[in-house]
Amino acid sequence: MRYDVTTGPIDAREMEAAVAHPGAGAICTFTGIVRDNSRGQSVTHLDYEAYAEMAVPQMRKIGDEIKQRWPGARVAMAHRTGHLEVGETSVVVCVSAPHREEAIAACKWGIDTLKDSVPIWKKEHAADGSYWIEGDAAKPVASP
Amino acid sequence: MAVAIGIRVRYFARLREQAGVENEALQVTVGSTLADVYDATRASHPALEPDRASVRVALNQEFVDWATKVSDGDEIAFVPPVSGGFTDAL
Repeated sequence: MRYDVTTGPIDAREMEAAVAHPGAGAICTFTGIVRDNSRGQSVTHLDYEAYAEMAVPQMRKIGDEIKQRWPGARVAMAHRTGHLEVGETSVVVCVSAPHREEAIAACKWGIDTLKDSVPIWKKEHAADGSYWIEGDAAKPVASP
Repeated sequence: MAVAIGIRVRYFARLREQAGVENEALQVTVGSTLADVYDATRASHPALEPDRASVRVALNQEFVDWATKVSDGDEIAFVPPVSGGFTDAL
């Protein structure tokens, strides 16, 4: 199992190889990409900040929970931090399982839980200013 | 009688910008809760988020509640909600 918080590019194909094994008939990969718009504004770039010493153990907890809920699953997760341009990969969750139903369900649960519980924050730089994205709220940055 | 214990406080994202520091060493009285620590940091960093209910706190890299007491050498992190919102999914 691999859990990474990294400033470098994320290679989803390499993560798929890490969870592949002969008993896995399915691999489901979620890839999060920096979008060029948000809240009706054009987005120029993002900055991600992590509490890395806590984020990696939280990812491991999610992976352990996936293995409990979906026996036979193997998991890899990576989240990028720092400056990201539109089109770059920010997060990848990769799950292998014996069959596709488990792989898809576990991957969805994994990315949803990661977004809700792993301490990584997104600062959006948009046409109308810079904002910290906190759930449904966008909080303006006082001094960008 | 020991009157003070040493802790390290870390701030992240919006709270880091409000505090103006990434981390700091603090002395607090024995028996202080995390709520007491947050109140003390608000006194020294007036721009820090006034609504404590919108902040989460981690003690030694685990989310805990505000009534938890701190011990000598603890690492405390005050964090804003993450982009997905923060739930107790785990």
